[in-house]
Amino acid sequence: MVIKELMNRFFTVVADPYSEAKRRKEQGQKVIGWLPTDVPEELIHAAGAFPVGILGSSNNIRLADTHLQVWVCSLMRSSLEMELCGDLDFLDGIIIPQTCDTTRALSGLWRKVCRTPYVEDFLLPKQVKRPSAREYLTGELARIKTSLEQVTGKKISDETLDTSIRLFNENRQLLRRMFEIHTHQPGLLTSREVYTVIKAAMYMDKAEHNGILRDLIRALEHKAAESAGTPDSKARLVISGGVWEPPEIMDLIEEAGGVVVGDDLLTGMRYLTPDVDEERNPLEALADRQLNKIPFGGFDNQNYERRRFLLDLVRNSEARGLIFLHLKFCEPENYDYNDMREALNSAGIPNLRLETEVANPSLGQIRTRLEAFIEMIGGNPIERTL
Amino acid sequence: MSEPFKTVALMKDLMSRYYDLGEEARRKGIPVVWVTAVFPVEIIYAMDLYPYYPENFGALASARKVADKLSMAAEAKGYFNDLCGYARCGIGDAYASEHPVGKILSPDLLLCCNTQCGSLPKWFEAAARFYNKPYFLWDSPYIEEQTSDLKQNYLIKQLYELINFLEVTTKRRFNIDKLREVVALSREATGLWNDCLEMAALKPAPFGFFDACIHMAPIVVWRGRREAVEYYRELKAEIEERLEKKIYAIPNERHKVYFDHIPVWPKLRWFADMFAANDTLVVASQYTQAWAMNFDPARPLETLAEHYPQQFVNRGVDYRLKLKVDFMRRYNCDGFVLFSNRSCKPNSIGLYDKKRMLTEMTGLPGVIFEGDMSDLRFFSEGQVKTRFETFFEQLG
Ligand code: SF4
Ligand code: SF4
Repeated sequence: MVIKELMNRFFTVVADPYSEAKRRKEQGQKVIGWLPTDVPEELIHAAGAFPVGILGSSNNIRLADTHLQVWVCSLMRSSLEMELCGDLDFLDGIIIPQTCDTTRALSGLWRKVCRTPYVEDFLLPKQVKRPSAREYLTGELARIKTSLEQVTGKKISDETLDTSIRLFNENRQLLRRMFEIHTHQPGLLTSREVYTVIKAAMYMDKAEHNGILRDLIRALEHKAAESAGTPDSKARLVISGGVWEPPEIMDLIEEAGGVVVGDDLLTGMRYLTPDVDEERNPLEALADRQLNKIPFGGFDNQNYERRRFLLDLVRNSEARGLIFLHLKFCEPENYDYNDMREALNSAGIPNLRLETEVANPSLGQIRTRLEAFIEMIGGNPIERTL
Repeated sequence: MSEPFKTVALMKDLMSRYYDLGEEARRKGIPVVWVTAVFPVEIIYAMDLYPYYPENFGALASARKVADKLSMAAEAKGYFNDLCGYARCGIGDAYASEHPVGKILSPDLLLCCNTQCGSLPKWFEAAARFYNKPYFLWDSPYIEEQTSDLKQNYLIKQLYELINFLEVTTKRRFNIDKLREVVALSREATGLWNDCLEMAALKPAPFGFFDACIHMAPIVVWRGRREAVEYYRELKAEIEERLEKKIYAIPNERHKVYFDHIPVWPKLRWFADMFAANDTLVVASQYTQAWAMNFDPARPLETLAEHYPQQFVNRGVDYRLKLKVDFMRRYNCDGFVLFSNRSCKPNSIGLYDKKRMLTEMTGLPGVIFEGDMSDLRFFSEGQVKTRFETFFEQLG
């Protein structure tokens, strides 16, 4: 019962993601949005502004079509649509990371056709192993820090940045704790609930999120102790890709008899790992967090060994299979897919690729394919009550 | 396209020599180094390694109208038809059993610069795994407005890392004086290339964009070698000679237009004929002009770290708009053509708005068409034609 109430808070947030941002704005606080992925929210927070994720929406795309070709990924088309519709009028600024050619081109377009007063790029290094990457990234973070200071009029001291880092680290730790409970006893929360808690963190005040999440974890631990030993028949699955959109996908997986116990999603594990070292110079520590993140197509390279990472993830999560959840027209994923699939195939790990779009929930075929896949790897579908 | 140039024979010769050198390098154990088109190849030549351009392979396969076949081989494997057509050709050929334009030369090393796009590093990473060879990325942060010491230092540091990487993997020494010589040769060739391109500004002009598309291969692959200098000296002389003899790029030039980027390779002739039939000469493109770089051999590493990463492909909207407008002014254009090329996202995203902005800035009519530079499955002749009919009417 308690769990349900706490979960309701998170569901309310993702259903109306920008109510907190708008409230803050009314109180005079600056609101700075970010596009996926990897924008260092700690810097925005330390500058006294409210960071908030712009992750597309399920609304139809109309206005963006006059600016972006149909072969642009729906995550960016939908995010631009939100701005053009006026849904993001509360933003004082936005930070756009250079993850792929699409975001690279979008940032210029955003400057030209959107009303957002302040548009900044996060120019991440694309190679992550050589010493030059770390030095450059530390400099780039310093540049963004100065840029944010100018726009908010507030100096970011090492102390305030340390405080923000601790707050965000705590959030990551709590999210990981919740996820750990979930992987041990996947019945306590549904996959959609788990990921909704993560997504809500991208819209909420972190201190508030931490508070509710702490209560949720306590309730989960309590329930876990009570129901320990109850066997779970669901097929454990790992999801690989960008974002878990449309959200109904999580329900479909569960209805087909699966449960998600691991991922490399931007709106999943990439957001929760790793922490920032609190003992170090904060900008260098933020740079290291970035360089030590789990692999992602946008920054992958041969050394990163994304394939080995996925194999380990499947094994460590004791998953029975892996589902690629790829957005149509996502270039980084479309280049990486073949090699990832081959690595899984040679390791005997069943896998399935589903192509989705953010704003196009036509799910019939996806349902059928999920059912067939999960049946094949030996999950028991839930009786569907219609 | 004009009546054939004499130098075309020379170029064919030069290109087959380039490919032969690749085979020879393989036989002699000289490392074959994959590089991207906008990459400081001067370093490779300075170390006596053999640079190979997979993009050039892609363009060749596209021009020969087999990109769709090669792409399908890649698609059958688990790649997707929305990736860059060059990459699909390269990846497809690696998996294909038939090689309609000869087999892509496999690398001993792969060097990539992402100043052009994010597609190349992904392709090269996949190739590095496929061929199981070392890969190096010269990472070039985007320049939205201006570059900075931070970025330039990063680029220079990485050049040292690159040289170190090359010395370790090839066991050859790098020599800065040798690099200076190569950079000087590059500069000479790019200067001559620029002279050829500039002749399109004459009215009527002896040389246009479609000629440039045919004659650009040596500036890409032979840049840094004496052969490129000699070739463009010949070409320049021939263009001047034709000018004297009043041989022009098209028979009846009434209009000049700017063409934004890569041509539709398998339709090069079709486009050239369509423009000529409408008495319109395409005179400039940021694409062919990309190799008109002006290096400073006295500062060899710095000059490379400035010119390649500061190319328009790595620049923000305002810079790119200004560049296009400058071309239109310099070449006295009456209109412009934008190619919404689904293969090349970095040069195509944003064009819908740029069309409007360019007309506002210049007062000139423009046309935008959809297609794929490589793959005719994504090209509708009828649709493109209709678009251009309106455009030619606007030109008058
Ligand atoms: S990484 Fe993929 S999903 Fe993200 S912006 Fe680029 S193309 Fe779109
Ligand atoms: S055509 Fe465009 S996407 Fe393809 S390699 Fe060239 S710059 Fe990159």
